[in-house]
Amino acid sequence: MKRNPTAFLKREYDELVKNNLDWKLRILETGSAPHSVVDGKKVIMLCSNNYLNLSNHPKLIKAARESAQKYGAGSGSVRPIAGTLKIHMEVERRLAKFKGTESSLIYQTGFAANAGLIPQLAGKGDIIISDELNHGSIIDGVRLTKADRAIYKHRDMGDLEKVLLDADKKYNRILIITDGVFSMDGDIAPMDKIVKLGNKFGAMTYVDDAHGEGVIGPDGRGIGAHFGIGGKIDVEMGTFSKAYGVVGGLIAGSQDLINFAYNKSRTWLLSGSHPPSVAGAQLAAIDVLETEPKHVKNLWDNTKYFKKELNSMGFDTGESETPITPVIVGESSKAKELSSKLYDEEVFALPIVFPMVARDKARIRTMMNAGLNQEDLDFALDKFEKLGKKLDII
Amino acid sequence: MQIKIGFIINPIAGMGGRVGLKGTDGVLKEAVKLGAKPISPKKALEMLEEFNSNFSNNNTVKWYTSKGVMGSNQLENVGIKDIEIVYETENRNTSSQDTKKICKRFLEKKVDLILFCGGDGTARDIFEIVGTKIPILGIPSGVKMHSGAFGINTSATAKILNDFIKKDLTIGEIEILDLDEDLYRKGEWNIRLFGIAKGIVEPTYIQVGKSIYETASDDEIKDELAEHIMEEIEENKDTLYLFGSGGTIDYIAKTMNLENTLLGIDAIYKKKIIGKDLNEKKILKLLEKYHKVKLILSPIGAQGFILGRGNLQLSPKVIKKIGIDNIIVISTPSKLANTPVLRVDTGDKKLDKKFAELEYIMVVTGYRFRRVVKVQTNNF
Repeated sequence: MKRNPTAFLKREYDELVKNNLDWKLRILETGSAPHSVVDGKKVIMLCSNNYLNLSNHPKLIKAARESAQKYGAGSGSVRPIAGTLKIHMEVERRLAKFKGTESSLIYQTGFAANAGLIPQLAGKGDIIISDELNHGSIIDGVRLTKADRAIYKHRDMGDLEKVLLDADKKYNRILIITDGVFSMDGDIAPMDKIVKLGNKFGAMTYVDDAHGEGVIGPDGRGIGAHFGIGGKIDVEMGTFSKAYGVVGGLIAGSQDLINFAYNKSRTWLLSGSHPPSVAGAQLAAIDVLETEPKHVKNLWDNTKYFKKELNSMGFDTGESETPITPVIVGESSKAKELSSKLYDEEVFALPIVFPMVARDKARIRTMMNAGLNQEDLDFALDKFEKLGKKLDII
Repeated sequence: MQIKIGFIINPIAGMGGRVGLKGTDGVLKEAVKLGAKPISPKKALEMLEEFNSNFSNNNTVKWYTSKGVMGSNQLENVGIKDIEIVYETENRNTSSQDTKKICKRFLEKKVDLILFCGGDGTARDIFEIVGTKIPILGIPSGVKMHSGAFGINTSATAKILNDFIKKDLTIGEIEILDLDEDLYRKGEWNIRLFGIAKGIVEPTYIQVGKSIYETASDDEIKDELAEHIMEEIEENKDTLYLFGSGGTIDYIAKTMNLENTLLGIDAIYKKKIIGKDLNEKKILKLLEKYHKVKLILSPIGAQGFILGRGNLQLSPKVIKKIGIDNIIVISTPSKLANTPVLRVDTGDKKLDKKFAELEYIMVVTGYRFRRVVKVQTNNF
């Protein structure tokens, strides 16, 4: 057969462009900072995950530079062969201590943690029970298993219990998986209740705390600490790429979990380990969180002020309990228009539209940053108020 | 883009209801004598007003309709201009014959959707002519509205129409149900499944990457369901499976190369059909012979009935013999989006109570994928 082996590349890309589903990359000419230059325009950054602005912290930058100087630019191998440096082990030791768990393991990314570990935790004859709004990387991890799958209504413990009651009769292992902080609404999974239900039914609990690490709990120790159940969640998974300001996935839990995880997670076993500069910066991030509480405090002060002001202007900010504050505007087209006008006015925040959220709940998702000051917030709020009125949202 | 909509009002639909008749089909004179007044022209007007005032759309609509009470009057009343008259009634009193003739004109005009105002009888008349060639959407106005074609009320219908024109909604399968009038005249109340038509449904979205969703076609989802059921059957070689009626289960049977009955109950044993379009008696006979039995059901019609509408062969006696625990409910997510509760009306109060006590059913919505859905019975 005569075929054009690569014709689909252009055809499928063109299709995405035609349906306006392609990613239009926005280029930052600065680093990711509270004031960034995006596509040539200086803006207040309200859509970065760099919650604590640690990516610009002098201690992290210095640690990255020094580690590179000391150990080189790359690590030379995958972790299991010859790519485990002492500094990697040190990060894991310090992280476990910070999170109050027996042990921890660093993955190349958060995605690698979910996609590598979840498929190993359940197989044929087991069931994975998942919140209906869980993040895509969890869903992909779950898809790789031969286990049965069930979902429960978002944060609905009654629904979860019903699934558990049914699963209890039919399956060997039961694994409950949830996002810690849900990235679209900024609400928090009731982890204390989930752990309680897990204990009742002998189900394992797994939380993806990507948006909670460094943000919730005392000193940003994450969701376990937030609910005072540190070490009681079987798998606390998170990331260094958001509030920690670096990159890398992490899991924290028992030594048994860690031994199991690094021997079985294919993503961990088969990709190169972090460069020393990354490990150095990770270590410094933990240092900063332990010794400089002001960043987490600033983040929350900013968040509370921003939310309060938005609400008093008449904006609907949904059920958010975290620095992710959705500004719900209704129709998708309106959210896109507001975002584009905000950018014109030097505020960078992206729209989230159907089907990521319900059709009539399109929104601007704002993410607060500890590095913004009162003046910055008032500037952004002023623009929100002006455009909100202009577009008939408030 | 221009969307072509065929519009049809059954002006006598619903008139039997207020005066205690089970429909208006064939009993109009009696209904009028009992004081019945036309309802559907008002309902149609409400819906059109809502559609016209609340929604704006980039796509334009061209309307095809019948002159006078069966269409153009109400369109003109709300100021719609782009109308093409495709039919004129010869009689003063409209009939189901008129509905059918108008539908033939809609087929010729190749309309994208038929919007009708009426009840199950009207839906049946339309379906008889257009089959699965044109999707239908009903403004609820009849006495009986069991079919999956109807919006919950006039304003919900207006929104569905708008979302369809905007291409937010997609075309899927819906059931046409109606009272079996022959049986009814003999004193038996049986809501029968008359066919599977095309209607407007919520598409199923699958997250394929960070913040990226793709819509999955109904067939893709049904392929997953088929895989799930095939594995189930593979793993239980000595079990007799009873396949319920409807499009989803039919698709699964076709995937298994079984000549299934779309509108009836079939028995499958060791991957072969051993009984087709079974009635209650034949099912009971099979249940005497086979002791391990599972029943596969899918919600039917607008209200999400799994038992009691469209499948009265599955009598209380049959269900008790099979056992509630041996019922597997499957559904595409788009169907559950329309009917968030499953309903049961077996006709046996004690059995209904057993379903009510379950409170919920785990419904298979994909390959090895299940979710909790509430179950409701009429009496509890």
